Amino acid sequence: MKAAIILIAIAAACTVSLSAQWPKYVEPGLPRDNQGQVRMDAASPRTPDGKPDLTGDWVRADRDPRPAELAGITTEQGRGSRAVVVEPQVQGFAADPNSPPLATFWDIGTNLPGGLVLTPWADDLKKKRMAIDSRENPDANCLPMGITQFHMQPQPRKIVQTPNLIVILYEANYGTRYIYTDGRKLPPQGEPQPWWYGYSVGRWEGDTLVVETNNLRGAESGPSDGWLDVRGTPYSDQATFVERFRRPVFGKLEINVTVTDPKSFAKPFTVRINQRLLADEEPIEAVCNENQQFRVRIKID
Amino acid sequence: MIGAVLALLVMAAPVLAHHSFAAEFDASKPLKLTGTVKKLEWTNPHTWFFVEVKGEDGKVTTWGFEMGSPNGLMRAGWTRNSMKVGDLVTVEASRAKDGSNNANAKTVTLVNTGQTLFAASSQPEAGR
Repeated sequence: MKAAIILIAIAAACTVSLSAQWPKYVEPGLPRDNQGQVRMDAASPRTPDGKPDLTGDWVRADRDPRPAELAGITTEQGRGSRAVVVEPQVQGFAADPNSPPLATFWDIGTNLPGGLVLTPWADDLKKKRMAIDSRENPDANCLPMGITQFHMQPQPRKIVQTPNLIVILYEANYGTRYIYTDGRKLPPQGEPQPWWYGYSVGRWEGDTLVVETNNLRGAESGPSDGWLDVRGTPYSDQATFVERFRRPVFGKLEINVTVTDPKSFAKPFTVRINQRLLADEEPIEAVCNENQQFRVRIKID
Repeated sequence: MIGAVLALLVMAAPVLAHHSFAAEFDASKPLKLTGTVKKLEWTNPHTWFFVEVKGEDGKVTTWGFEMGSPNGLMRAGWTRNSMKVGDLVTVEASRAKDGSNNANAKTVTLVNTGQTLFAASSQPEAGR
């Protein structure tokens, strides 16, 4: 109980101090209750043309099981105030019975029934990546970290929706992703050259934004290419992604991600990532490379 | 009360692992040192600070401590003025794997005020 009280105190302190450290911006036009809090359960906003509007600042709302790699770091709650608070405190959502298995940041297939079945090529590559403690993870190297790591990274992201283009601006590693919604088609796989973010086109199916992505730099391109998660579950240059975005209520974004990559996986798989609106707060500039010494310190450069 | 506690535990955020903690640090090598802050690097992707620690033999050793990103620290209640050069601090950390005088800080306590700040590091919060 003592530890719990301390946790509460920490959370309270963080809430107070956050408003003191970054200019508080009270966004106009949001649905609010009598206390001025944004009503997360209010109806989703719509654009003038009637489409759901995904615009907003979002943080991941799901939790990972504690990864085995960090099992040596013991909880010290029993002895007092040693909780380490990281990143925004995010309230989760009630379980959704219609949801695909939740993706996890450390190992994307953890919650898939029977686990994610990798091909021998992908399984071998993942083992090699884990054997060197995921040091080539693009996240660790200030590089674009791939669609799923970007969706789950604890730092917030801003979605800006216009009629013909949706942009996702990630605080993490200062990432920028373009999703074209002007009716264009995907280019053939292999044309143009592959990109870190691939080539993404989106269309609306009712209230669901369906985004297809191909022409991604797969794991063949380099050691930090083709990462789905921290452990390095790979994707190849054959991979295609389909993401289905829904905003069922004002404060929730649901993203169902289907990965199809016959070189890496026995069959396509689909996982869910939930995000919560980060009301009245914003992503903050984070220029990752300003003092990146990681590779020097661990002597791989 | 119990309800409030559960809510907070559920709210605990996922771990920010900017770089692989395990590639550089060893969670089984905890460290607790007190010394004087000599240098601060309030930079991405991780902040660093350097502390001079006087040993029992009078010898002074410099230790480098990694913390979270400036944004992570700000969200955990820091400002870039929370800890200044010359401050006496007690740091709890995990040592670097390579045996160097580097470590990943978990908490920093300002000795003069007793205030403890959490390092928003790439280590997980407790109790998960």
